[in-house]
Amino acid sequence: MGFEQVLQKTWRENILFSVLVELTYRCNLDCFFCYNDLGLRGEPLRTEQYLDFFAELRDLQVLHLTLSGGEPLAHPDFLRLGAWARELGFVVRVKSNGHALRGEMARRIRDEVDPYLVEVSLHGANAATHDRQTRVPGSFDRLLANLREALDLGLRIKINSTMTAWNEDEIEAMLALTDDLGVPLQFDPEVTLRDDGDREPLSISPSRAGVARLFAVQAERARAAGVTGAPFAIGKGGDDGTMPAPAAKHCGAGSSGVAVDPYGNVYPCVQWRRPVGNLHRQSIREIWADSGALREIRDLTVEAKGVVDAYGPAGALMSFCPGSAAAHGNGDPLRVYPEALRRMELLGEVFGGEEERSAKRRAILPVVP
Amino acid sequence: MASTVIDPASVLKPARDIRWRRIDGEAVVIRQRAGEVLVMNEVAARILDLADGRTPVSAWIEILAQEYDADREALERDVLAFTAELAAEGMLEVDPIEAGKTTDGL
Repeated sequence: MGFEQVLQKTWRENILFSVLVELTYRCNLDCFFCYNDLGLRGEPLRTEQYLDFFAELRDLQVLHLTLSGGEPLAHPDFLRLGAWARELGFVVRVKSNGHALRGEMARRIRDEVDPYLVEVSLHGANAATHDRQTRVPGSFDRLLANLREALDLGLRIKINSTMTAWNEDEIEAMLALTDDLGVPLQFDPEVTLRDDGDREPLSISPSRAGVARLFAVQAERARAAGVTGAPFAIGKGGDDGTMPAPAAKHCGAGSSGVAVDPYGNVYPCVQWRRPVGNLHRQSIREIWADSGALREIRDLTVEAKGVVDAYGPAGALMSFCPGSAAAHGNGDPLRVYPEALRRMELLGEVFGGEEERSAKRRAILPVVP
Repeated sequence: MASTVIDPASVLKPARDIRWRRIDGEAVVIRQRAGEVLVMNEVAARILDLADGRTPVSAWIEILAQEYDADREALERDVLAFTAELAAEGMLEVDPIEAGKTTDGL
């Protein structure tokens, strides 16, 4: 059995394989379009609960564990939890804004957490754009210094960037910047609503022309690199960065992965904020086996596949996300939303039929981008 | 690739950058530094479980012989060869302390 078959099996047989944990919503930046629901209230999971939770995930044979936030490094026991995750043998990813990734913290992350990947956010090619987004003056210069330090330490870094109206004219400059650093840059062409439904972030959604240009630039870079097929993520992959070939379900939300917020609420994925259980009341093993809400989610991912397939081969270009659909469509995870249609249309224009076919054939995205 | 001599007294442990889990009997193995994913069969997965940095290869062979009701000599030959391959690939490491004990009799 190859890795692709393993991933398909996790989707098909509901084998929990990837978990994203939002350790805290505290953050040392103040990003304009942050999707976290900062008004959410509840009893935060205690460190001891996380330790038990991680051990249970190990027993369930979960492989990928992503430590996210807020800013995960702002959790007072981040290093202890990260080291425990490493000891338990997870492939650990850290999703950070990079602001505190330096000095002793960076060195201890390398030595004690030993993450597979640290994913860091970049919001522009210069201080004016990046700091406008983070609303913290000096954050751009500090991020670049921190990235160089982290790379010198040997940490594996990937840069993520959400494309916005503010940075859409800086695509090439951001790519030049990350090329210079020698790290991959993955754009997300879609600004999402906040998890509480607040639509304010959409006010800086990128323009249609901007998204079209992003796809054209990415296609040109792929061609120059001699990459054929679908060389880059055109939307959102799994929380672990993997995306198996087409299966009976549209995605692995609630079938091979879950996300957990700081208050113990368990969701089918980081995008789909429909709670399926809470770790204060149930173990993850109980939630995974018995949650009726999770069973509904799994059924919905089957229905979502039908929704996307109805568009033919081009449907794969939408990178349709039931979680985003639910957020856009008043809770309906099967309603195709405008951003998905725009993506399908623009990618169709950039690539034509060739890309549609290759999107359908796509196996998995590289585990190391 | 340097060859690694493994004998029944060898004590091995997984390399630091190896991560793996059992999925339906098989092992999904990630080599972090190389960014490589491997899927190994059930026996290979069991060997990764047994490579705990304490138990010598001879004990693995005894355990596997019982679990798989296999011919012991053939099993020993296969396990030593496969383990040497994993070590040569940098996926298993000879435990230096245990190896020192073996060499020096300490």
